[in-house]
Amino acid sequence: MNLYELYFGASLLLILLGLYAIASKRNLVRIIIGLELLTIGVNLTIITMGLRTIEGAVTVDALAQSMVAISMAIGAAVAALGLSIAINIYRHYGTFDVRKLRKLRW
Amino acid sequence: MNPFIPLFILLGGAVASVFIDQIFEKLGAAKWRGLFASIILAVALIFIGSEVAAGIKVTEYTLFGGEAAITASLKLDTLSLYLSMIFCGIGLAAAIYSMKYMELERETGLDRYYSLLLTLVAGMVGVTLANDFFTLYVFWELMAISSYSLVSFRKWSWEAVEAGFKYLIMSTIGSLMALLGIGLLYGLTGSLRFDILHAAVASRAGLAAYLSMGLIMIGFGVTAAIVPFHSWLPDAHPAAPTPISAVLSGIVIKTGVYAMLWGLFKVFTPAIYGFGGALIVLGVLTMTFANIVVIMQGDIKRFLAYSSIANIGYIITGMGFAAYVLNHYPDQVAVASLALTGALLHILNHALGKGLSFLCAGCYIVRAETRELSKLEGIGARMPVTTASLGMGLLNLAGVPPLSGFWSKLFIISAGLGIPSDGFMVLATAIFILNSVIAAGYYLWLLQRIAFKKFSSNSEIKEAPALMLLPLVVLAVTCILITIMLGPVLGFIHEALEVVLG
Repeated sequence: MNLYELYFGASLLLILLGLYAIASKRNLVRIIIGLELLTIGVNLTIITMGLRTIEGAVTVDALAQSMVAISMAIGAAVAALGLSIAINIYRHYGTFDVRKLRKLRW
Repeated sequence: MNPFIPLFILLGGAVASVFIDQIFEKLGAAKWRGLFASIILAVALIFIGSEVAAGIKVTEYTLFGGEAAITASLKLDTLSLYLSMIFCGIGLAAAIYSMKYMELERETGLDRYYSLLLTLVAGMVGVTLANDFFTLYVFWELMAISSYSLVSFRKWSWEAVEAGFKYLIMSTIGSLMALLGIGLLYGLTGSLRFDILHAAVASRAGLAAYLSMGLIMIGFGVTAAIVPFHSWLPDAHPAAPTPISAVLSGIVIKTGVYAMLWGLFKVFTPAIYGFGGALIVLGVLTMTFANIVVIMQGDIKRFLAYSSIANIGYIITGMGFAAYVLNHYPDQVAVASLALTGALLHILNHALGKGLSFLCAGCYIVRAETRELSKLEGIGARMPVTTASLGMGLLNLAGVPPLSGFWSKLFIISAGLGIPSDGFMVLATAIFILNSVIAAGYYLWLLQRIAFKKFSSNSEIKEAPALMLLPLVVLAVTCILITIMLGPVLGFIHEALEVVLG
């Protein structure tokens, strides 16, 4: 198994784990953790796509690096916003349980 | 023109508005704080408009990077000018309207509000100006994060925070799916620039290319609210403050449509990748579902939000007709360009009509302090200017001839019937016509309930304040002006089409 397949397999696993967590977990914070796993999986995919072997040394393409750096910052902003909305939900409902906030149909 | 300039104006304005706001507060003029954001949006609009008047030169601007394949760059063409003009125009109307509306609704936290509105418009303009998927994704997320925070802006209400959370989760999954598709494309070709991708993808039509095309279509489709992925919209749009609902329903979902249009037509060529059939099925499904559900809504903002989904269905179907024709009948370019003309004109018509209807709904909500349609019945007679504007917007959306909303639907329908031997397209067009009739029916029904029924409540209802009426009247007059000047507008759209179809 070469490096490329290893990374690709790991990122696929992270994406599936993230989607599973978002679909099945009932706690708002766990849903956001699932979203983070998904972000990390997608970022790892881009890094994998940028892997280059130049004269035997493995490097990552500059475009992939800069894209992932910015994507990580965006992911952090989304997670922060999601957590702050979760805090406000907690203030309204007194719970992080998603089943309790079904005033809108999910 | 350097495409960086309008972005610089909008983003610089967003940063500066935080500081200018404190000056407004010190001067004791806090209720005029929206003035700065309005001026910034007006400057951006005038700037883009002057570029259109002076004749467009296609330009590029490199943000960073050395070799052509790995640069991040901006482009400027007719299509991006057309859409940026719509975005800045509706944004300007919403900013002027917000000044009085947010005061009457006693909202707090307004120092952040106008800054977020400016970043939202900047993100949308940036998406249309991007020349590679990397830049597009960055501006896409700028737009998305601003709209999440604006949807959950009224954090004292359970509805806003709950809808905001739902919107954030669903839309972020969509953006990440699109990013995954972009990443796969990058692995396939080693570049993210649209022109290089276009050349590289054409010769690599395989499983990976189709997979990334599907991911990009679904990912951007979540923001465009195509039917299996629409369920955030009817909650998020009503929960936001009304001027933001107008921006979200009028233009933010159009950014999703633009990203799909550009990604599918400019990167994956319709002649090689047969995505037209999928787009037609999605579009027909979207409009049929939304048109059935909209009739059951008892909340005026939910009503308008669902009808936005139906209108996205019309636009997607128009795009689907164009792609389908280009794939199956390559010699019938005229039919394809007719369908795309209809789709692009409908983007303008729906942005104007839906923005106007939402702003009018906001006037009723401020005066009657309810969103229930049953309690708003007959209120129109007490607020004649608002009702006249609402009538203009709804008639435009309903597609009553000779308004421009009629022509955009007619173009899509006549393109659908352009190849009579193709049963699939004729069937889709038949469903399209049926949907347009249903839609016209419920828009007129809404107008009749608001304007002509007897008002049940005895409370004193006054006309909305002049500052809120100003954007309504301007938008209503714009609807008429576009109908009168349909020739020049169509000429402009035709130039934009040449950009899309190459």
